[in-house]
This record gives sequence, C-alpha cells and structure tokens, in this order.
Amino acid sequence: MTGPALSSTATLRETMGSYYRSLGDADTAPVAWCSSVGPAELLRALGYRVFFPENHAAMLGAARTANRVMPIAHAQGYSQDICSYLTSDIGAYLAGETPLKAYGLTSVPRADVLVFNTNQCRDVRDWFEWYGRQWDVPVIGVRSPRSIDTVTDDDVEGVARQIEALVPTLEAVSGARLDGARLAQVVAISRECSHLWGACLGTAAARPAPFTFFDGTIQMGPAVVLRGMEEACAYYRSLLAELEERVRTRVAAVRGESLRLYWDGMPLWGRLRALATNFAEFGTAVVASTYCNSWIFPDLDADDPIRSMARASLNLFIARSEEPKEQYIERMVRQFDVDGIVFHDCRTCPNNSNTRYAMPQRLSKRLGIPSLVLDGDVNDLRCYSDEQGRTNIEGFVEQLADTRASRRGA
Amino acid sequence: MMPDERARVVAGVDAGTECVKAVIVGAGGRVEGRAVAPTRGYFQACVYEVLSAALDDAQRTESDLAGIGATGFAMGCVPGATLTATDAACHAAGAYHLIGQRMTLVNIGGRDPHLIAVALDGRRADARNVRRCAAGVGSFLMFTARHLDVLPTRLQELASVADKPAAVSSYCSVFSSTAILERLREGASREEIALGAMHSIAERIVELGGFEDPVYACGGVVEYFPGVVRALQTLLEREVRTVPDPIFTGALGAALKAMELAT
Ligand code: SF4
Repeated sequence: MTGPALSSTATLRETMGSYYRSLGDADTAPVAWCSSVGPAELLRALGYRVFFPENHAAMLGAARTANRVMPIAHAQGYSQDICSYLTSDIGAYLAGETPLKAYGLTSVPRADVLVFNTNQCRDVRDWFEWYGRQWDVPVIGVRSPRSIDTVTDDDVEGVARQIEALVPTLEAVSGARLDGARLAQVVAISRECSHLWGACLGTAAARPAPFTFFDGTIQMGPAVVLRGMEEACAYYRSLLAELEERVRTRVAAVRGESLRLYWDGMPLWGRLRALATNFAEFGTAVVASTYCNSWIFPDLDADDPIRSMARASLNLFIARSEEPKEQYIERMVRQFDVDGIVFHDCRTCPNNSNTRYAMPQRLSKRLGIPSLVLDGDVNDLRCYSDEQGRTNIEGFVEQLADTRASRRGA
Repeated sequence: MMPDERARVVAGVDAGTECVKAVIVGAGGRVEGRAVAPTRGYFQACVYEVLSAALDDAQRTESDLAGIGATGFAMGCVPGATLTATDAACHAAGAYHLIGQRMTLVNIGGRDPHLIAVALDGRRADARNVRRCAAGVGSFLMFTARHLDVLPTRLQELASVADKPAAVSSYCSVFSSTAILERLREGASREEIALGAMHSIAERIVELGGFEDPVYACGGVVEYFPGVVRALQTLLEREVRTVPDPIFTGALGAALKAMELAT
C-alpha cells in the first residue's frame, strides 16, 4: 500500500499552475520553446517565456489523451516507431487539444523561436522543425555529440561555441541584449534549484524512503519548467523540509517497505498510478531513478555560465556511452541500497531505453542484483500490457525476495 | 446466345489468407457467377473448389474460360492462371468498374488492410499498407470470435447492439488479442468486446492517413463485419461507402484484367 500523500503537493499545483497561466501572457514577452535540457538559462536571461513541449507531451500522456491524438500525427507520415511525445504533441495541436486549457490557454503558446539540444535525441529537432514550418519562425539549437565516454574540454568548447552562436538570433527575436550579469544570476538560481532537487531525491536513501520515483515524476515539474526561476527554489525548499521531516519520523511512501528498486528509463505517464500501486502492493518501493536525477546539474557555475551550461548538457546521463552510464547506475544502486533494477524498454524512445545492448545483463552480473525489463512506452499505451506488466513485477518481486533470503542464508 | 459469345468469359480468383474467392465474368464485365470458400489446407485445392463452384453458379464449364486472372496472397497457386496482378491493382480495377469514379479505396482483407488511391481512369495511383504489426486482422477477428465463444459471423450481430467499444489496443494483433482476454477477465460484455475488436481494426486504418472523398471500402472483412466500416466512419468523421459485393472486388478486378489480355 502507498503511504500518505505529500502535503507539499498543494503548493506544487499552485506553482505549476501559475507557470502554465503565465504562458498565456505571451503579449508581454516573447516565447521560446526549449527542449528539456536545452539552454533554458540563456532564454530566461534574454527575457523569454520558456515553454517545454516535452512537459506538455507528458501531460498528454498522463491525461491519457495521447493515444487519441497520436493517430493524427501518424496519418501525417510520422511513424509509430518514433518518439510518442512528438506524435502526441503534434497530434494534439492538429486536433486543437491541450491540457493547458485548464489554465486559460486555448492552445500551446505560439513560439517566436524554438531552441533544441540534440544531446538527448534527434526527435526534438524534428519535432521543433514541424512547428517552425507551421509558424514560419526560426528553429535553432545545439547539435551535441552523443554516446560520450569522457567529456573533454574540446567537447565543452565545441558546445559552448554553439550556445554562443545562438545569441544573435535570440537577441534579434527578443529585441533584448544579453546581459552577462543577468545570465550569471539565472545560472546561479538554476544551480541552486538543481542542488535542492538533488537533496530532495537524496532523502529517499533513507529506510523507509519518504517518497518514490512515482512521486518524483510529479514533484520534478518545477525543476523542469522553472529552471532558473526563484519559484522553483522556493518550492524545493519547502518540499525538502517535508521530506526531511518524514525521514525523521519514519513516514514511509510504501507501507511496510521491504524491497527497494532503482528505475531506469522513462516513466509510463498513463500508468503512473497503476504501477505505483502494483509495486506498493508487494511492499516494494522504487526509491531512485535515472529519470528524476537527470535534472540535477552540478556542473552549472555562475562564474562561467556558458561553458558550464555546455558541460552540464554533455555530462548528462542520456548523452553518455554505456560504461559511464553503468558506473552512474552502480553509484545510484549503492547510494540508495536497492535490491534490484527495473529497466523500462520504451518502445518509441531508444534514447532512454538502456536495455537493447545488454546493459541489464552486464549490470546484474557486476552488481549481483537482479533486473527486470518492462516493455512499455512513455506515451503510447498500446505498447504496454497491464496484465503482462503486473505478472512480470510479481515474478520479479518473488525473485528478489528469494535472492535476499539466499544471501542471508549464505 | 451464339456459342462463340458464350465462350467469352473469364475467371478471376482472389486467393487470400482467410478466404479464396472466384468470379466468372462475361461480356461487358458482367458477373455471371461467384463462389467463396474459407482458406484451409493447400491453396490449389481451395482454388479448384471455388472455381468449380463459380462455374456452376454461372452455368459454365471450364472450357468456356478464355482466361483466368489471379490475385491475392497465393496468386501463384492458381493453376492455369493467364495473368497475375497485385491486390492493389485488382481491387482498384474491380471497384472502379462498379463505381466508375476516382476514390480512396480501403481494402480490408484478412491479412493487411490497405489504402488505394484510385485515379480518374481507374488505375491505382498510390497504395499503402498498414504497419506489419497491425496486419493479420482476419486471424484477429477469428481469435476474438473463439474467445467470445461465438461463430465469427455472429461478431457483427454482437457489435451492432453494443453501447460502447471495449478498449482493445490497435498496435499489433498479438497485443490486441491479449487485450481481449484482459477485457473478458474484467467482465466487459461480449457486445462491447466485439465492437472493440472492430474499432481496433478501424484505428489501424485511420493511421494510414490520406483519405480523400469519396471513400469506399471493400474486402472480406467488409463483407462479413460491416461494423468495421461504421467504426471507420466514426473515427474518420466522414462517409465511408461500401463497394457492392465487397468480398469479390479483387477477384472481379483480376477477371477484368484477364479479359483485357484475352481480347
Ligand atoms: S528523448 Fe525520447 S522521449 Fe524525449 S523527445 Fe527524444 S525521443 Fe522523445
């Protein structure tokens, strides 16, 4: 059974609500669309309202609107096998649907410029280019190296130069000049937000964990869309206080927590609650994840804003090769003291699926803990079978309990 | 009728994965006889069976045949075929012969539904199949019928009285089949599941895009499960008409092509 709901969630709703509402005030500021780990700090420093379409697509998934609208994008020639965020979002646009209607917007905010970073995938660029053609506005971005072993100074320099090269277009569109001091200030706030969010996630190392991955996917909202804004820091200060209090008083996110897991890969937005319940029924807490931790950027540095943004974007898990990814997961497994790893093989996002080149097998061997691969998708629920998922989780939990018992016996 | 005039008939055979169909076509493209049999065992035997039955229906004998056109999955298994042509070309030709105008034709057979843009002159201008995973709709409907414990022909009757479709995934036929078992376990009504199965097929077709009015449907699934056409109409929000005798459209097209060759 899941434990009591976090009381901070009410403030979270207000914080996210006022962000979404502010997107409707496009008359007062230019709008930039930004990929989730794109150069948001630069955009904010130039006075843009920043919209994150991946967050919008996740809302479509969570509201289970995605499957209704994706066929519209498929019918335009966008394959079923490419990013279902892209197909949900474009499909919703063509259908005139958006969850932002709840916040007084009639549509997604029209972009004045779209800014991508391909450190995560090529799909964001293709996605943004669709809107660029639709609205006849510039689509610019950073073409980042991927599958990086060690991030070198040359890599950082290359990306930093690309970020700098965005500035003239961004200035021309916004009509503002980039102020270095303002950029440093935004980067400092972003860094603070990332630090606070990291501290919140870190509380789940406690036994019992005060919140789970499933809670984290909701709580991470401000870290994604309000990066570089004081509101995000304020929210995480209050969340951190609540989580620390929970740790002190041993309030468990999963009642009777007996097993702890790590989650690698995307959430299945339309099945968050169902999965949270499935795991909790077996006294299993998913205490940490690659996904929620991907919005922690310790590299950000107000003294060297652009280069540190470049370094942060390159050091990101998704941009790395197998070995650093495995080392990362190993650190997480140790820090959070987990009994097993769940890998989500996300049908339409190979970039966030670390199951296809034998990583689960290698890690299980290296760490001596079992892993489970769940077939599913971030938004396309047709790719997930509730029945199969539940059976797999049940079997995995059974296996974990056996493994632990035999370890103890040994 | 003069003996030489009687000789000018041709046969068209559409050897599909779920059914083998044959028509006998005479002067002016008039259908004189037709027959259909479920596909089982060797294709050659099925072809022989339907061809004989269609000739009987037309009160003709094999010696009256000036040619045999073959199409469908097993078109290579039609003995004595004077011509073979693809599903898309034959369905376009058959539908155009009956409708006489350009159209978007949705052919929903037992294997992979496809969309055919039929040009002003009756030629297939473009054709697109559903994804590989979304194919196998005939077997999927058979599976549905088996699990609802009804004859396949009763699926339509059930679907027609359902209030709403049960949620049956459309990504692939295997996932959809599992979803049917899940819905059954949850206690969804047989009517809702039957309608859900038809919606699942319609959704796979909608994703092909490129529908331009007028839209016509043909194929075996359309013949036996008109609920799929209604579901398609609902999802597309546009009228979808049915080609007369929709299961024979491909065989008719094959026959017409054989006739062209024979004259
Ligand atoms: S990382 Fe995956 S889910 Fe995210 S935009 Fe790219 S393809 Fe889509």
